[in-house]
Amino acid sequence: MSQGSREQPPAGLTLAWCDYNDRPALKIGGWANPGLVGLEGPDAGELSRRFALLTTEALESGLAPGRDVNSVPPVAGRFQAVGDALYFIPRFPFVAGASYSLVAYAEPVDEAGNTPAIFHIRRPADEAEPTAFVAAIYPDVATVPVNLLKFYVQFSEPMSEGRAERAIRVCRDDTGEPLEGVFVPMDPELWDPTRQRMTLLLDPARIKHGLVPNMEAGYPLIEDVPFRLFIDPALRDARGRPLRAGAERRYEVGPEVRERIDPSQWRLTVPALGSLDSLLVEFERPLDYALLQRCIRVNGPLGQVVPGHSQSGRGEGSWSFTPTEPWAEGPHQLVVHRQLEDLAGNSPVRVFDRDMMEPDNGPPLTDNVVVDFRCKSA
Amino acid sequence: MVDQATTLEHLGLAVGSPDIKSVGPLAFGPEGVLFVGDNVGAAIFAIDVGDSAASGASAAIDLDNLDGSLAAYLGCAREDVEIRDLAVHPHSRNAYLSVMRGSGDAAVPVIARIDSTGAISDVDLEGIAFSKSDIEDAADEDDPREVTRVKLRTVTVTDMSFVDGLLVVAGTSNEEFSSTLRRIPFPFTGDTDSNSLEIFHVSHGRYETAAPIRAFVPYQGNNSILASYTCTPVVQFTVSDFAPGELAHGKTVAELGAHNRPLDLVSYEQGDEEYLLVANDRHPLIKIACVDIDRQGPLTVPDDSLDSSPADPVTPGVGVPRQLLPHTGVRRMANLDGDNVLMLQQDPEGNVHLHTYGVGDL
Repeated sequence: MSQGSREQPPAGLTLAWCDYNDRPALKIGGWANPGLVGLEGPDAGELSRRFALLTTEALESGLAPGRDVNSVPPVAGRFQAVGDALYFIPRFPFVAGASYSLVAYAEPVDEAGNTPAIFHIRRPADEAEPTAFVAAIYPDVATVPVNLLKFYVQFSEPMSEGRAERAIRVCRDDTGEPLEGVFVPMDPELWDPTRQRMTLLLDPARIKHGLVPNMEAGYPLIEDVPFRLFIDPALRDARGRPLRAGAERRYEVGPEVRERIDPSQWRLTVPALGSLDSLLVEFERPLDYALLQRCIRVNGPLGQVVPGHSQSGRGEGSWSFTPTEPWAEGPHQLVVHRQLEDLAGNSPVRVFDRDMMEPDNGPPLTDNVVVDFRCKSA
Repeated sequence: MVDQATTLEHLGLAVGSPDIKSVGPLAFGPEGVLFVGDNVGAAIFAIDVGDSAASGASAAIDLDNLDGSLAAYLGCAREDVEIRDLAVHPHSRNAYLSVMRGSGDAAVPVIARIDSTGAISDVDLEGIAFSKSDIEDAADEDDPREVTRVKLRTVTVTDMSFVDGLLVVAGTSNEEFSSTLRRIPFPFTGDTDSNSLEIFHVSHGRYETAAPIRAFVPYQGNNSILASYTCTPVVQFTVSDFAPGELAHGKTVAELGAHNRPLDLVSYEQGDEEYLLVANDRHPLIKIACVDIDRQGPLTVPDDSLDSSPADPVTPGVGVPRQLLPHTGVRRMANLDGDNVLMLQQDPEGNVHLHTYGVGDL
């Protein structure tokens, strides 16, 4: 390629967003006659030595004193000359709201004495109004034990990850003072598959007896000191928009709970034989909202799972089950899965932090726990 | 690529486009297969990264402002780059990073490759040889409610390691608080649960607990595992003690103090001795001799010799002997080639750098 056929540092280039083969791309036009004559045919290497697309953020950091702009990696992608325009097809989609800079040399970069012309363009931002909100916060109780293990925050629509650490805090309700170090560092954050429910784990190191953090710093919460959980609107939904509004919930703090869940203490209201009435189970203490949805089932006289619909009651203090077929005669079992937990992480088979010196804290059991019942005669 | 894919058929890999929704923990397996934890897709992918660079004398990898360079390469702002994990290819010695670019609907999973010149490239995740394992077996379909119910439980993988034909996976559930260590046979068979273990550990001879394992490292020729827990203890267990279906117990050998979280572990040899490094979010980098772990009895009294002030930790008098190293802000580590350890370090301004340290200097 001869020197004479090349465009000089192009002063009047125009940048525009476009589609190239159905993929978002950047179109670089405005070439003066002889236009792109000099660019037709050069191999990809030649184009990449004369043109680079950088994020404006990277370009500015590369132009900072002591930095070398040529050491800044260009945006991954390729240039392609087609007709009267040059296209940049990025390897990864352009980012809404981000600015990009085209660095254009008259000569390949590695030839000395070159000063590039630089052009900027900004990708349109997504400016839709916020719609997402906090739909519920669990536990749905007024008083939590001082060794509370988890919160669940339910959102109205799918959310983005990565901002919980900054957007969630806990403050004393009496002084407004923040409680520090309440949560396990939220890296990674714990979400359900729909990205609508986030699990917040309180720091188990401070909850567990016998660990240095518990001895040094104590429980994350303070008994008899009410607190508020705040969700800041700075959390982002899946489209990157903030919440419509923040949310908060106040809790009282009661004594620690350090006993296995004891299904033998549950109060069962048994339905009548042959009916489609619900079985109602009232617990001796509130249980974990999420686990309650899947950790209890009913087995029939032959040991088969009874089909039906179950739901947890108000404040996670009860559970009811409505069968799809009338209740049959014979022994039934309420099967409590060993994974079920109360608000402090105690399960039917183990205490959260089992004190081996304590006779009531037996070794963990390996099986599910069952409660036998029979339906009432009609 | 095709030749390589053909050679990996015996590992169950077939060419296609894996539906990787997110990238998290990384671990290399046999023949340069890279395991990628996908916590959004609830799966682990084994992929052929197509890295046939010759092995040989490896070179140090040093790249300042790694996150800024990745943002530039990925065409996004630095705050849109989240580096999740680091692994080193066993033959080419190139560094691989799992990186999420952006979040929410716009999130793009990237496996970035850094060579010894500091050049960045990435693994094309379309048209590669791969296989996939769900993180867990399907839900219990004996319970008719489970067939129709929207499944909200997830297991978020926090660390993985390939140990003697099994991919060992540590994870945290978003519902139950447990300590399940999954062992997934590779090549993948679809059986993920039968080899799972729930590991209890005893704190100070008195409190028996289970908690999710955050990070772990196999050592002593894969006979032992040292694990750090979400609730801070460092626990040793012996691989041959594992019996599926039984409750396993580990030995608490150290506690790293309040307001501190172990982030990553790596093993390396110095002379004839094997050592482990433990990176922490608040305390300095800790070096432990493996021989001392064997000698260490279970902690029976509270280790109160560690100052809770991260700025002024005190060398402990009890628990496994340890040495504090001066490397700051270490977030992830990988053994580069036996002679060097690669570290991902974050400076006080939040910038992330990649540096290589000779084992003689550790």
